Amino acid sequence: MEHNTFDYEGTLEACARADQEAFKRLYQQESGQLLGLAITLLGRRDQAEDCVHDALVKVWSNAHRFDRTLGQGRAWIYSILRYRALNQLRNRGRLVQTDDRFIENMVDDSPQAEQQASDRSDGRQLRRCLSELERPRRHPILLAFYRGLTHEQIADRLTTPLGTIKGRIRAGLRALQECLQK
Amino acid sequence: MIPHAPEPRRALIGEYVLGLLNEPEAKEVRGLIAADREAAQMALEWEAHLLELADQLPPQLPSAYLWERIQQSLRWSATTSSAPDKERERWWHSLGLWRLTSGALALLVLLGWLPGVWNNQVVTASYTAVLQQPGESAKPGWVVTIYSDGALNLKSLITDQIPADRSVQFWTLVDPVDGPRSLGLIDPGEGTTLSAEQIGAVEAGQLFELTLEPIGGSPLEKPTGPVLYIGRAVLIASN
Repeated sequence: MEHNTFDYEGTLEACARADQEAFKRLYQQESGQLLGLAITLLGRRDQAEDCVHDALVKVWSNAHRFDRTLGQGRAWIYSILRYRALNQLRNRGRLVQTDDRFIENMVDDSPQAEQQASDRSDGRQLRRCLSELERPRRHPILLAFYRGLTHEQIADRLTTPLGTIKGRIRAGLRALQECLQK
Repeated sequence: MIPHAPEPRRALIGEYVLGLLNEPEAKEVRGLIAADREAAQMALEWEAHLLELADQLPPQLPSAYLWERIQQSLRWSATTSSAPDKERERWWHSLGLWRLTSGALALLVLLGWLPGVWNNQVVTASYTAVLQQPGESAKPGWVVTIYSDGALNLKSLITDQIPADRSVQFWTLVDPVDGPRSLGLIDPGEGTTLSAEQIGAVEAGQLFELTLEPIGGSPLEKPTGPVLYIGRAVLIASN
């Protein structure tokens, strides 16, 4: 996925001008990655496709509200997708037991020094910063991102008191902030 | 209570973006983001950092109907008339030359050097088809080999995660008029060997595809789910 070269901001602005071709390009560019995330969050392909459908319809109809001075276009699109996915999860109510072992692999593969340097230069360094966190602080953050769990659900899943989980996540996010601003 | 100091405020917005907060807290932060430019920027910054985690996941091919559905929801008139079957037919017919672009060709060359695939002693490979994700030209996922005795071997080059409530079904299509014919269910990541009787005659250009179906396979005589991998048979030996 060459998201480094795709002009998300320009494409969203074109969508705001009702440019259907631009929206189609956006679909071709991003639908696969959006679906990948939705499937991981929702665990079911049919519901994930519903979620991507709803999110992209929303992207089109709200494109005029995108403002490039506030942030990246791609981040804006994913904020819509994640919001919808989280709503779907909350409405579903009961939590499905999932195998979450994979999520630690998303951070743990220690990248080569060269890769780290290039990550830093294009501002992509969250994974490096996450890998510097201790697991008890990192793991709940990853559970929230990949499984869409709330504080309560994470405490439940990790059989850890709610206050402890909240404290660890907050400390983890503060440490991340600091690391990301370096 | 939303903190005023920027650092705790940024952390709280991070918690909101991650979806950790309960509804009363989330509502408060949502209100702040709607009203405060700086808070909105913080939220998008978090979201931008988190893209790195999203990008660790393999992309998944949406079903052909998803784009159709989106267009219908947006009431774009141009394509609303095309029924799902039409869409599928277009998939079958639109498989142009992409199937033999560099990636597939490189693989063909590679296959030629593998013993057993191009082995003259007993049976030889007559046809091969490299199955790729629709629209992808350099990511071979499965290889179909048809031997001179008519048997078919389907071999996986990758392992996909398939939802627990779905099955992967293997199909072939000789003539679009006849429609696709099921060759059975496949375990993701695991190949299969089928006898000549099960396959029937194979000809150059014949399509093979894997689709995602309800568990136990398509309820109809044709694929109902998205195409995961597809490719055409190419003649590699004539004896």
